[in-house]
Amino acid sequence: MAAYVLRRVFGMVFVLFAVSVLVFLIFNVLPNGDPADRMAGKQARPQVVEAIRKEWGFDKPLPFQYTKTMGQLFGGDLVSQTNQVNVTEEIMRGVPRTLSLAIGAAIIWFVVGVGLGLFTAVRVGRLSDSGITVLALLGISVPVFVLGALANYYLGYRLALFPNGGYAEVGQAGLWEWLKHMILPWLVLASLFIGIYSRVVRSTVLDTINDDYVRTARAKGLSERRVLFRHVLRNSLIPVVTLWGLDFGLMLGGGAILTETVFDLQGVGQYFAESIRRFDVPPVLAVTMYGAFFVVVFNTLVDFVYAALDPRVRLQ
Amino acid sequence: MATTDSATQLPDFAGAYADSPAEEIAAGTSPWRLAMRRLRRNKVALAFGALFLLIVALALAAPLYADHVAKTGPNSQHLGGGDQIEVDGKKVDPVALDGVPIGPQGFKAGGKYVLGADGGGRDVAVRLLYGARNSLFIGVVATIITVLLAVLLGLLAGYYRGWVDAVISRLMDILWAFPVLLLGIALGVALAFGGVELGPIAIRGNSLWIPTFVIGFVSIVYLARPIRGQVLSLREKEFVEAARAQGASDRRIMIGELLPNVASTILVFFPILLANAILLEAALSFLGAGVQAPNASWGTMLGEAYKLLITAPHLTLVPGLMLVLTVLAVNVFGDGVRDALDPRATIKLER
Amino acid sequence: MRSTLRTLMGLMAVLVLALGAAACGGDDGDDGGGGGGDGAGGGGGRTGGTAIVNYTSFPDYMDPALSYTLEGWNSLWVVYTPLLAYRHEEGAAGAELIPGLAEALPEVTNGGKTYKLKLRQGLKYSDGSPVKASDFEHSIKRVLNLESGGSAFYLGIIGAEDYVKKGKPKGDIKGIVTDDSTGDITINLKDADGSFQYVLAMNFASLVPSNTPFENLTKDPPPGVGPFKFENMRQSRGYDLVRNENYTPIEGIPEPKLDKVTVSIVKNQQRQVQDVIQNKVDWIIDPPAPDQMREVKAKYSDRFEEYVTNSTYYYFMNERVKPFDDENVRKAVNFALDKRALAKRFGGLLEPGCNFLPPGMKGYEKIDPCPYGVPGEAPDIEKAKQLIEEAGVKGDKVTVWANDEDPSKPTGEYLQDVLKQIGFDAELRIVEASNYFTTIGNQRTKSQIGFANWFQDFPHPRNFMFLVQGSSIQNTNNQNYGNVDDPEINRLLDQANKEADLEKAAPMYAQVDKLLVERAHTAPYGHRKLANFTSERVDFENCTVTHPVYELDFTQFCLASGGAS
Repeated sequence: MAAYVLRRVFGMVFVLFAVSVLVFLIFNVLPNGDPADRMAGKQARPQVVEAIRKEWGFDKPLPFQYTKTMGQLFGGDLVSQTNQVNVTEEIMRGVPRTLSLAIGAAIIWFVVGVGLGLFTAVRVGRLSDSGITVLALLGISVPVFVLGALANYYLGYRLALFPNGGYAEVGQAGLWEWLKHMILPWLVLASLFIGIYSRVVRSTVLDTINDDYVRTARAKGLSERRVLFRHVLRNSLIPVVTLWGLDFGLMLGGGAILTETVFDLQGVGQYFAESIRRFDVPPVLAVTMYGAFFVVVFNTLVDFVYAALDPRVRLQ
Repeated sequence: MATTDSATQLPDFAGAYADSPAEEIAAGTSPWRLAMRRLRRNKVALAFGALFLLIVALALAAPLYADHVAKTGPNSQHLGGGDQIEVDGKKVDPVALDGVPIGPQGFKAGGKYVLGADGGGRDVAVRLLYGARNSLFIGVVATIITVLLAVLLGLLAGYYRGWVDAVISRLMDILWAFPVLLLGIALGVALAFGGVELGPIAIRGNSLWIPTFVIGFVSIVYLARPIRGQVLSLREKEFVEAARAQGASDRRIMIGELLPNVASTILVFFPILLANAILLEAALSFLGAGVQAPNASWGTMLGEAYKLLITAPHLTLVPGLMLVLTVLAVNVFGDGVRDALDPRATIKLER
Repeated sequence: MRSTLRTLMGLMAVLVLALGAAACGGDDGDDGGGGGGDGAGGGGGRTGGTAIVNYTSFPDYMDPALSYTLEGWNSLWVVYTPLLAYRHEEGAAGAELIPGLAEALPEVTNGGKTYKLKLRQGLKYSDGSPVKASDFEHSIKRVLNLESGGSAFYLGIIGAEDYVKKGKPKGDIKGIVTDDSTGDITINLKDADGSFQYVLAMNFASLVPSNTPFENLTKDPPPGVGPFKFENMRQSRGYDLVRNENYTPIEGIPEPKLDKVTVSIVKNQQRQVQDVIQNKVDWIIDPPAPDQMREVKAKYSDRFEEYVTNSTYYYFMNERVKPFDDENVRKAVNFALDKRALAKRFGGLLEPGCNFLPPGMKGYEKIDPCPYGVPGEAPDIEKAKQLIEEAGVKGDKVTVWANDEDPSKPTGEYLQDVLKQIGFDAELRIVEASNYFTTIGNQRTKSQIGFANWFQDFPHPRNFMFLVQGSSIQNTNNQNYGNVDDPEINRLLDQANKEADLEKAAPMYAQVDKLLVERAHTAPYGHRKLANFTSERVDFENCTVTHPVYELDFTQFCLASGGAS
């Protein structure tokens, strides 16, 4: 077991390293203009461009630049090329926003997704099953930037039921304000996952319901309700829980770029999107590492949870 | 897993179905016929399949509509004094002096601006159809690229195991660790700037092929992993052993024996990947990292529409609805295909 | 200064902007809430109180040595004062140079190469420390050592290039000599420069104490001499401008009427406008987006006004690359442009024009009749087609360059469509805004034609004309995108640039302007309009003073007397 954990940790470090190298290469090997030119700005004279190149080490070999950047990243003193803003501080500023979005939405989509999935599985073949199935597929089919835009426009702007975009800090604006700002983003982000989760739950429940142990349970004379909750649901939830872990990790890592952008939440994902348009490598690298970290950690966690829940799986 | 908030998370969604059918199918061809029969009975799926074909047909007919109904091209701007149209006997500018375009005219203006104008005085209906071409082209071709590469990688890794598997699996791990949209934007933005030059092939930065390849590439993991898993178990099966005993070459075993057995997995995944690719194209273009101006795609149209959401909501509603309908059609049809291939899905709860 | 409008905003922001605000204050915790204390009512607006203003993006830097955007300058010029300054007034009066921290305008000798100034006595920074003459050299060193976007302006000083090359902050700039005991400051230039006084009046040259470190001080801006001082810097989200108690008014630079201006960053422009309408925010730096313009103009015209900035939007045409090496081809482009159509892509916020110089600039003489037809009326497409045909370039491949922001992208799309109409096989290349000007400014790109614009750095025509002067052509970071190198224009500009008296130089610049248009060296189409939109709490009549260089003047901004707060 200890060896296994060690191997997983080693694997995680390797993957993170590879991710950072890949991102670094994307922006240093593909042609995307000279960073020194870009930083020197509009009125730049060659002397000044040269000075910038030297100071930032753009004239040094790539491995050197890479190690320097990574060193700064872990030392917390990495600054962006645009306006020299401390990258770690910017990310930390975005984290509460990204967390608010991810946690709230993840709870909603889990609860509603599992509920709907169970409901449709029980009523399989009925009208309500196909109705909800189509709704679920609709949820999967509507991009958040369309749903978000329309929600913002009709509920936020026209009806003024919600503030339309922006984030309110609990500490400054109070819990109620924070909640009001988060409701639309939560619902919009969750709608996509609800569609997926309800489908997954429906199919796994249908799988388990015919398994031998369920039949046995039923044969023992347990009530239909008890069979469903005690035996079917518990077992069919395993894949959903692992799926949820992976998605949650991704959202924590800033994966909800579009939701953050449409609702102007100024989270980590939006910071990434803004930085990449400026070809600003340090923040792009930092956010990618931040995001990949969550993905990798949750991937690993999910494997452990899976093994713990399902005795048939053994970690090795 | 979940690609991002934009796109669907495919593997587990489909994975629930992916592993089972192969074994039955290996037994003979009748499961295919059974599946066809089941699909034919699923009227809803067929209706949505037909809807998708209709959208494809509309996209193909874009030049006809442009030439004979709207009488303008997808990128033709109409901002000048000579571009006024007649609506109910009154002369109207397609775009007012303050930059606000007119809304949908129906057929009041003789086929012009049926779905309204955009900020450049361009005909939204014409752009919608040409945009459909680009969005569908990228979606379909990217999905084909994904399938080809994923099947290749999955077969190699699953069949050879050992270091081949180790290398491919590590690569997949790395791709997996990237939030997909992040990687897509990064590649899209970087490639759009300089284009690609690989020996004799030069692709310009504004080419449709760039988002196509980017989307095709970042989606590989979704399919490569399940295929690898399936091949890993298939290669131990008797029929593979038998082929090997008869002295069949590795290539032959992979193509002749293994590939047909993962076909149903590919079939199940294709619509999901297609829907995902169309959504990813829209997301990338919406963020400016996909299709480049002035070319229309549903994503670029939505991106530009945002600025005029209050005064010209039709700019968001029109491409938005089209996008949703298309993806929904693919999803519902794909769902039907899945149900058809996987009989368990139709087993009813015993009461 | 280029594209000061939303320079920093990427597409992201633009996308979100349209969505805007519903009825909600307190977003982001610090942008809402009515402010405003009591103050003694005076005639017109009252003194005292707090105003809340919104920027769409945080200024690039909050450090006078570094900031090079409209947002930055709008705040910095009331906190820092250079040796020379501008009167805090509207229009031509505001473009006039006055002594700032110097006692008088400089004495120019040695054929326009030596500038002598004397520091006012008894000046104090906002932290109470005294101002010394040597602070000036230190301030210029910071600009150069920090590789500021403004460093190019000061490289004409003797020894400045050496100083940059050595890269040592403690080094010396030979051409600047200061004497702390007498307050004398002498500056020696390599060449005579008639616009150098304006360069001295730029924010970059504002004085900061000699112990100010050589680093970006955005988080904790250095003390300055000015009506306001910074307080409560909230990283990336805003800051306050509060009355500087250590400021003794200098003639032309008045004390503030307000006690405090709270600057908050709200990326969503729609929300900004909504908040102004509801009197939660008092002024916004960016004009309402086209999406809301109708509502604002229709309902709130009593607190909304548009004004034309000293800016020019034009298409550059690269004269080193076919087909625009041919004057007739360039003329064809000029004939084909419909400036009214272009104005639509600015949401109407463009004053169509024929000149290269903007109307508010000294040396502007309206070119009438415009050789390419009255700006704002129908273009002459037929004439353009004919010129293209005659030049034998019909069907040639042409790449149009633009960046991905508004209005660059839509105007790029427009140009591509026009070029197709007049017979070119035109293609559009969109480049991210961050990379755009360095891309087209690199000779290797060989960009043929595309979007360009310029906002004035200072109200001197040289600041526009260097864009078309042969001597400013560079291999990289080129600003003369069209590589305009007309011997007659070069000669006239050399002469005009040396002339220290702007009154005398103005007709020469006007002559250059005329030649530029006649020879179709560029295709200018208009000048950007901005707008002031304020809450009802503000005394709009008396207190919204739009300075020609720095836009709204916070020192004179005030709340209406008797108005509820």
